[in-house]
Amino acid sequence: MTEPMTSPLVVASPDEVGDVTFDRSMDAQIRGILKRYPNQDAALLPVLWLCQDRWGWISPGIMAAVGKRLDLAPAFVEGVATFYTMYQRRPPGKYLLQVCTTLSCQLCDTSVLVDHLKQKLDIDFGETSADGLFTLVDVQCLGACGEAPVIQINSDYHTDLTVEKLDALLERLAGQ
Amino acid sequence: MVTLTIDGREITVAEGTNLVEAAAAAGVEVPTYCYHPGLTVVGQCRICFVEVEGMPRLVTACSTPVQPEMVVLTASKRVREARAAVMEFLLENHPLDCPVCDQAGECGLQDYSVEHGLDSTHMVDERRTNPGRERHLIGPHVVQNQNRCIHCTRCIRFTTEISETADLTMKSRGNHSYIDTFDGRPFDNPWSACAADVCPVGALTVNEFRFRARVWHLEETRTICPGCSIGCNVSLGHLNGVVHRFVPRENAEVNGWWMCDYGRFLAEPLNDRTIDVPLERFGDGERRISWDSALAEVARWLREAPKPLVIASANMSNEALFAVRRNLVEGARMDVIVPVSEGETRRIKNGRGAWFSSNDAHPNSTGARHLGLAVADAANLESYLRDGTGPVLVLDAHAHPWLASEGAAAISADRQVAVLARYRTPLVDAASMVMPLASWAETDGTYTSSTGRVQLAHKALQPVGQARRAWEVVFHLALELGIEQERAVTPRILFAEMAAEVGAFSGMTWGRLMAEPGMPVHEEVVGVG
Amino acid sequence: MSDPILLRARGLKNSRSLSTYCRLGGYSALEKALSMTPAEVIEEVKASGIRGRGGAGFPAGVKWGFVPRDTAKPKYMICNADESEPGTFKDRELIVVDPHMVLEGIALASYAIGANTAYIYIRGEFVDEAQILGKAIAEARRKKYLGEDMLGSGYDLDVHIHRGAGAYICGEETALIESIEGKRGLPRLKPPFPAVVGLFGCPTVVNNVETLACVPHILERGGAWFAGIGTERSTGPKLFCVSGHVERPGVYEAPMGITFRKIIEDLCGGMRGGRKLKAFIPGGSSAPVLPADLIDTAADFESVAQAGSMLGSGGLIVMDETVDMVWALENLLAFYAHESCGQCTPCREGSDWAVDIVRRIHRGQGRQGDIETLHRIARFASQGMTICPLGDAFCGPISSFLEHFGHEFEEAISKASSMTAKALPILPVQSDRELFGL
Repeated sequence: MTEPMTSPLVVASPDEVGDVTFDRSMDAQIRGILKRYPNQDAALLPVLWLCQDRWGWISPGIMAAVGKRLDLAPAFVEGVATFYTMYQRRPPGKYLLQVCTTLSCQLCDTSVLVDHLKQKLDIDFGETSADGLFTLVDVQCLGACGEAPVIQINSDYHTDLTVEKLDALLERLAGQ
Repeated sequence: MVTLTIDGREITVAEGTNLVEAAAAAGVEVPTYCYHPGLTVVGQCRICFVEVEGMPRLVTACSTPVQPEMVVLTASKRVREARAAVMEFLLENHPLDCPVCDQAGECGLQDYSVEHGLDSTHMVDERRTNPGRERHLIGPHVVQNQNRCIHCTRCIRFTTEISETADLTMKSRGNHSYIDTFDGRPFDNPWSACAADVCPVGALTVNEFRFRARVWHLEETRTICPGCSIGCNVSLGHLNGVVHRFVPRENAEVNGWWMCDYGRFLAEPLNDRTIDVPLERFGDGERRISWDSALAEVARWLREAPKPLVIASANMSNEALFAVRRNLVEGARMDVIVPVSEGETRRIKNGRGAWFSSNDAHPNSTGARHLGLAVADAANLESYLRDGTGPVLVLDAHAHPWLASEGAAAISADRQVAVLARYRTPLVDAASMVMPLASWAETDGTYTSSTGRVQLAHKALQPVGQARRAWEVVFHLALELGIEQERAVTPRILFAEMAAEVGAFSGMTWGRLMAEPGMPVHEEVVGVG
Repeated sequence: MSDPILLRARGLKNSRSLSTYCRLGGYSALEKALSMTPAEVIEEVKASGIRGRGGAGFPAGVKWGFVPRDTAKPKYMICNADESEPGTFKDRELIVVDPHMVLEGIALASYAIGANTAYIYIRGEFVDEAQILGKAIAEARRKKYLGEDMLGSGYDLDVHIHRGAGAYICGEETALIESIEGKRGLPRLKPPFPAVVGLFGCPTVVNNVETLACVPHILERGGAWFAGIGTERSTGPKLFCVSGHVERPGVYEAPMGITFRKIIEDLCGGMRGGRKLKAFIPGGSSAPVLPADLIDTAADFESVAQAGSMLGSGGLIVMDETVDMVWALENLLAFYAHESCGQCTPCREGSDWAVDIVRRIHRGQGRQGDIETLHRIARFASQGMTICPLGDAFCGPISSFLEHFGHEFEEAISKASSMTAKALPILPVQSDRELFGL
C-alpha cells in the first residue's frame, strides 16, 4: 500500500468541550444517523464517532450532551464510551500512534519499533510527547498482519515498517 | 403448572419458574450472586450451574426455566467441580478483607466458599487492585471498595430497574471494569443505600454502618418503618440496646426488597434520648418527679377542667390509639385530636414493579381514621390550641412539626400542659409536666398503611430509663381518672379487643399478623382514610 | 482451482468500481435471484454446503433457514466485518479489492431471509474500508442494485454501515448485535438465538464478509458447482491469510483442503530466511497451535479438527525455530485478557490470571504447580462455563501450547531464578487429588 499523507487530528481543549451544545450542522448529521435505525438508542456509537471526529476526544461534557440528545442516562453513555478502546477519553496529540503489539506483528519484530519509539519520543504507552505531537498507544491486532509491522496513525494504516521508514514518517508528520 | 424432579424430589411449580426458585421450592439452595428475584436475569456470575439430564453442558439455573419432566441435579460431581472452580475464580482477585469488612457474616463469598469452594487456592500472583477506590465514598450513604467487587452488576441493575435513576454504570472492560457514577459525581438518589443491600459482598457498604458492629452480634427485630404511611417492612439491627442499622425486609406487596434512605436513617436518633425520667416545671427550672405523682397531678388537671384537650399522634400504634379512644374519648369524654402533617413525597417500588408514594409523614394516620378519631392539619391544630383555655395533654410532643415550634411552646405560657416526649423541643422546655415516652421501637404495635394494610411491628428495645409506652400511659392515666379497667392490658390484648369492636379490624388476629406480611382492613372501611 | 474466484479482481485497475464488477459478471446473480423465491435461494446456498468463514464454520444455508417465515417482525441481515481475530486479514482484502462482491452477497442474503435492512458492522479501525464500502453502496444505489425497487423487482433493501470502536468481542454475533443497539458489547445468553430474537428483538442473520462474498458465485454458477470445489464437507474456495515467518505473507485464495505445506511452501515462498518451521496456528489465534510435523494437514474444517485444532477464520500464523513459545503464549493471552468483555467470572478472572502466570514464567519466576494451574484454568473457562466462546478462545491456546511445547514451559520453570522461593508453603488443595489423579 502506498504511504498516505496522514492529517493531524484537530483536538479541542477541555474548556472547549466542557459544556457542549450541538450546532445546526451536527444536529443535522445526528438526525441523518437516527434515520438509519428504528430505535434511537442505536445511534449512540455513530454519534460518539461524530463527536470524536469533530472534537478529537470524548469529554464528560460531550457525553452529557449526547445523553441528553438521545435520551440516555449520562452514566450509561460513559459506560459505553469506556468499553470501546477507540473512543479517546483524554485529548490526544496531533498524531495518535496506535502500535499493534499482537503476535503476527511481534513475529516481525515490532518490539524493536516500540523500543525505538519510546526512546525517541521519550514517552511510554499512554503518554504524549512533550511537544504535543505524538501520543503513543499499544493496540491489539489491526487486521493487516500480512504487512506487519503495522502502526495506525490517526485513521491511516502504515505498514511494512522498519525503523528507518518510521523515522522518515515521523519527520514528515512533524513537519506538517 | 410444571412437574419436574430436583435431586430426586418431585415438585410442581408455576410455568416459567427458573431453576433457582424451583430448587428452593424443593428445599435445595442453589448458590447465586448476580441473580436477584427483584432484578432481571443476566446469568453472568456462573455460580448457579446445575446439571440437567439430557443436556450435554451444565446450565445456569437462574436463566433456565422449568420444563415438564426435567431431571435436575444440583450437587453432582460435575456441578460441584464447576462451582468450586467459579468460586476460585471469584476469590482469585478478591482481597482478604474479612477482618475489616462489614459484609462479614452475611457475605455471599464467605457463605458459598465454605460450602462450595476449595479449601485453598492455586493463585500465587498479585491480585488486581483499583487504587483510589478502596474506601471511596461514592455517595453520601455508600462506601465503595472496588477491589472486593465480583462484577455481579446487581447494583447497576438496581439503579436502572428499581430506582430508575440509572446513576451507576460499569466502566472499562474485562478485569479492569469497575463500578462508578457518571463523571465521578455523587451517587445520590433517594434509595442509594439499597445498592449496598443488594451487593452480595463488601464492595458497596452503608456508610453509616461502617465498622459499627459485627452482624452476627446484632439482634434483628422485624418491624415497620415509621417514616411515612407506606409502611415498608424493615429489620432493626441492635446490640445491647444500641441501634446499629435499619434495613429492608422483603414484602412483595408493600416495598419489595427496598426502602428509601430517609426511612433507613430514621432509626439513628433512637440512640439519642434526652428525656428519660418524668420532670415537673418548678420555678425557673424543673425537678424530677415520680410517674405516680406525675399521673396523679395530670389526672387532677383533667378532672377539674371543663374541656381538656388531648393531642394524640398519628405516629402511635393502633393499640395505643384504641386505648385513647376507649379511655379518653369514650370513657372520659375528652376532646382528642390527631395531628397529621404532609411531608415530603416518599416513594418506593414494591416487588411487583408498582410504585407507591406517600405525602403523609406518619405511619398510622389511616389507623387513626379507622378508629374514628378526629384528625387535624397544622392550621386546625394551631387554632384548637389557641382557642382553648384548659389544660392540654400532649401524648406525643413529636406528633407534628408545628408542635416543635416556638409558637406551640407559647401555649404553655398560662396553661397546664403535660407532654410525653423523647427529646427536648421548645414545647418540652416550656411544659408544666414532662414524661418520658418510649419510642416506636420500644413497643409491639400494629400500624395501618395508606393502602389499608395492617402490619405488625415487633418491639426491639427495652424502654430507655423510665420511659413508658403510650398505651401504657393511657392505661395508667385512665386508672387515675377513675375509669374502670377490666384487666391489665398488653398490645396483644388491646388488639383483640379492637378487632372485636372496630369494623376495620374485624377478622384479624395478632397471631395471623405475626405470620403473615400484613392484612388488609375489612372491605367496608377501605374507603375511609 | 486455477482462476481465482473471490480475488478475481485483485491487481486490476479500478478493481473496486462498479463498472469493473459488472464487466466481470457482477450483479447478474442478484438479477437471477430476484426472479427466484427466497426459499429457492436458500436451497441453492444449502446445496453449496458453504460453511461460515468467520470462524465458527456453521453452514450458512442452514442458518438462513432458521429465520421464521411467518412473523410480523422485520428481519435484519448483518455483515460481520469486525475482523479482529489476530492473524486474520482476509475480509479487509475483499473489501479493498472488490466491495461490490460483498454488497451483492449482502443483497442476496437479505433477499433470502426477507430482510429489507442490512447493516455492515465494520471494525472502527477500518476507516478507509468503511469509506470504500460507503462509496460502493452509493454507486450500487444509483444503478438500482440496492435501495428501493431493486432492478424493478419490487424488493427494497437499505444497507447501512455501523462502525465498531475497538472491541474484538463485537465479532461475536450477539455482542455485535448489542453493539449496534448502542450498548457495551456484551454477548447475550443463548437461547434465544439471533435467527429468532436478534437485532432490536427481531429475526437476524449475521454472516462473515467472506461467506457473503461467496454467495453471488453460488447463485451464478450453482450450489453444486461450489460444492465441487474443496472437500466433501468443507466446500468452496477459501481465503487464507498468512502472516509471521514466511517469505511472502498475504492473502491467498485456494480450494478448501489444500495442505498447509502447500500454502507455506508454494503460495508463500517458504519460510523466511530459509529457517525451519516450528509451529503454526491454522485459523486465527483462537485456534489451537499445531507443531511443525503436522504441516501436511489439509486445510479444511474436518482435517484440522482431527489434527486437534480448528480451521476457524483461516488466519495462518507461522512461527519458526527462533520463537520462544512461552513468549508467544504470553502475547496471545494478553490479547484475550485485553478483549474480555468482563461479564462472566471464568473469562474475566481466568484470562487475567493466565496471563499473569505465563508472564511470570517468561520472566524467569515460574513455580511448581503453574502448569497444573494453567490446565485448571483452561478446563474451567471453556466448554460452556462462559457465556460466549471467548473463554474457549483463550483456553485452546493454553491447552495446545502446553500439549505440544510444554517442555519449554517446564524448562523455564525449572530454570527459574533462584530468588524465587520454590518451596513456598502453598497449601495442597485437596480436590486436586481427584482432578489430577494425584
